[in-house]
Amino acid sequence: MKTWSLCALLLIGLVGAACTPDHDAPTTLNYGLTLAPTGIDPHLNASAELGIPLTSVYDTLVVQDPATGEILPSLAERWEVSPDGRTYTFHLRDGVLFHDGTTFDAGDVAANLDFVFDPDHHSQKAIFMLGPFERAEVIDARTVALHLSEPFPPLLDSLSQVYLGMASPEALAAWGPAEYQFHQVGTGPYRFVEYVPNDHLTLESNPDYSWAPQIYQREGPYYDRIVFRFYEDPATRALALENGEVDVLGEIPPREADRLDALPEFTLFPVAIPGQPMEFLFNTALPPTNDPEVRRALIEAVDRKTIVDTVFGEHSSVAEGPLSRNMWGYADDVSFPAYDPESAQRRLEQAGWVLGADGRRSRDGVPLSLTVVTPNWGNHPEVSQLLAAAWEAVGAEVEIETAPGFGLLKEASDRGDYSLIGINFFGTDPDLLRPMFTSSGLYNWMNVSDPALDGVLSQAATTAASQSDRQALYADAARAIRDQALILPIRDYVDLVVADNRAGGLAFSYQGWFPLLHDLHPGP
Amino acid sequence: MWAAVTFAFFALRLAAGDPISSLLSQGLASREQAEALRTSLGLDSPLPVQYLRFLGGLTRGELGRSLYTQRSVAATIAGQAGPTLRLALAGLVVAAVVGLALGIAAGTSGTTLLGQAASSLAGFATSIPAALTCVLVLWAATTLARGSPVLLPLTRSESLLLPALALGIASSGALARVIQSGLEDNSRAPYLLAARARGVRPGPRLIWHALRPVLPLAISFLALEAGLLLGGTVVTETVFARPGLGRLLVSSILIGDYPVVQGLVLLAAVVYTLTHVAADTLSAVVDPRLRPST
Repeated sequence: MKTWSLCALLLIGLVGAACTPDHDAPTTLNYGLTLAPTGIDPHLNASAELGIPLTSVYDTLVVQDPATGEILPSLAERWEVSPDGRTYTFHLRDGVLFHDGTTFDAGDVAANLDFVFDPDHHSQKAIFMLGPFERAEVIDARTVALHLSEPFPPLLDSLSQVYLGMASPEALAAWGPAEYQFHQVGTGPYRFVEYVPNDHLTLESNPDYSWAPQIYQREGPYYDRIVFRFYEDPATRALALENGEVDVLGEIPPREADRLDALPEFTLFPVAIPGQPMEFLFNTALPPTNDPEVRRALIEAVDRKTIVDTVFGEHSSVAEGPLSRNMWGYADDVSFPAYDPESAQRRLEQAGWVLGADGRRSRDGVPLSLTVVTPNWGNHPEVSQLLAAAWEAVGAEVEIETAPGFGLLKEASDRGDYSLIGINFFGTDPDLLRPMFTSSGLYNWMNVSDPALDGVLSQAATTAASQSDRQALYADAARAIRDQALILPIRDYVDLVVADNRAGGLAFSYQGWFPLLHDLHPGP
Repeated sequence: MWAAVTFAFFALRLAAGDPISSLLSQGLASREQAEALRTSLGLDSPLPVQYLRFLGGLTRGELGRSLYTQRSVAATIAGQAGPTLRLALAGLVVAAVVGLALGIAAGTSGTTLLGQAASSLAGFATSIPAALTCVLVLWAATTLARGSPVLLPLTRSESLLLPALALGIASSGALARVIQSGLEDNSRAPYLLAARARGVRPGPRLIWHALRPVLPLAISFLALEAGLLLGGTVVTETVFARPGLGRLLVSSILIGDYPVVQGLVLLAAVVYTLTHVAADTLSAVVDPRLRPST
């Protein structure tokens, strides 16, 4: 009897489900992430991956134009910068609601910045993006002023990032720094539903969202629900797309990306990621790379175009400076020495490195030997192998040392016994050059000490009056870095994203990694 | 256990570098800010002091907090334990079933084609690396599913079947070898001759007779393997995009989240101890010779 009634119930359920018209069924998008970050509170954690879902959970005071990086209004309708560049006054939009129903106002901006600055919260990124920030002053419910100890033009870029997205202070206080990551509350087009580390993160559309900034082209959000899952093994990503498990997935290996792109059900989006390109930094404190002529020779010995084509396929361009070409601040009149092995040989010869009978160069009995420290991620090892072959061809001995993890890379750099070290950094404001190319910078792995370069980079991030002034200063910096041959730039980073054509309208923020989920919709 | 956590404490700090560098890998901080973060996380005190602080915490039952999320290590681990436990148990079932089948086939069919095939399969299963098994299983299933979409749900990461297969296959080979050699050693044992003389025909009953003395060994092998299977989940979880302790361990090591790694090492030490005890107990249940005489 029991069995029968159960079967009947099941049958009714099935028929019911089959009769429900399609357009009433909730729409779900499955989005694949390629890293499972440890900690996803954007105010405290630093991962770029967390921004893929959370950029759509939070709104920011300002936003960046996806194409140009121009700063546009969002939660702040307009703003003024004081003549001394030390006070930014924001006039806030009215009628904005957090996902928990509370109203967004000026006090919430101050509360968010307090949360980031609390030393017990150990913020790993947001706090550093605020530079010389001193305090927030609530002038009235709709007006807030941020006071700085010195001018800091990158501030607006920072305030446009998810790391300084506006969270509900009630939720921040209720959950505290350890648990808030599981209960995030913003004002964005999608609201945070659930996060199970290493498993999934779920968002649902925010039906009240009526304060979309002008970067969005459509009347979203369209999906009722977006589920993010983590695909850390590159070998399985194409499979996940092909078996229909995900609709959008990034960091697809080049060959797989091209194969999927050729299929009618998928579209490939090569997304340029701004920042410092994949590059190798010369150690200017240790022979033989302390000699600029040797550094120039090593740059000329490398056919960068062939390396990029071999390792990354046709979607990546060769990098020509300390900034990637798709970001503002890139100097398009600066290019690094082209492939010229004869000139490389000549330079080494003139610098005293004489070719021996065994095909190896040496000077005063010391062999021309290079140690390359390479990260084990982002195709650095493959590129290092090709670089080693190129340098061996001009008579150097090359040893490659692989660093699995950023901590070990830093450790190798602290030891100082390397000739080159591979790295890339992401970011949208050219001020990201400062920690690396100034003499006191935390990442000055080149051991560069050039007062002129220090001055240019510091001026560009403090007293420079306008964006065009800053642009000119960063062009000066790029020339100095090129002229002193401090780096070997390899490739501007491109994220190969493949989307199932079931989803349409895929576009990305200026930052590159982050999709504009608001505009994403079912159907082509 | 003390040795394990002490080793983990010092080895990690030597092997994975300065956690502050990993914490600041997005590169914006100044030197002063980096040092301020080090101080606020208590990582500025000398290593022996940090070690004593860690031991002190342990005696109070505290494993510390993640450097990245400030969440307690116990809560961080507890959140990932369930999926790993399910996967390891399912893998164990696969290992037991496949291993028993292959072992019996190889151990009783001797030089026949079936025996040879089972024996080679077992050898193959043991020698193929776990990462390859995973990708092969996933690829085979996806290829099959493309032909018959009914199978599609099996290839999704929520499904336990494929990861359990991939995880269990490697252990099944070793188990099959244990059973095979046990059965072959037994085949000339006097009690089996006696059984045959009593008229027990070759077939399931005779196999059961021959298998009885092999079982304790097989069971202790499986129990020990259970501990290893927990380790095997590292690869399986990554390839099949499943949550779990294996993923947590790898990511925590890579980013230098030491408190979490220490907690996981301690957990592993406890689990290995428990599986050893379980192995001895189970063997005694199956084999009367191992029971204490009263």
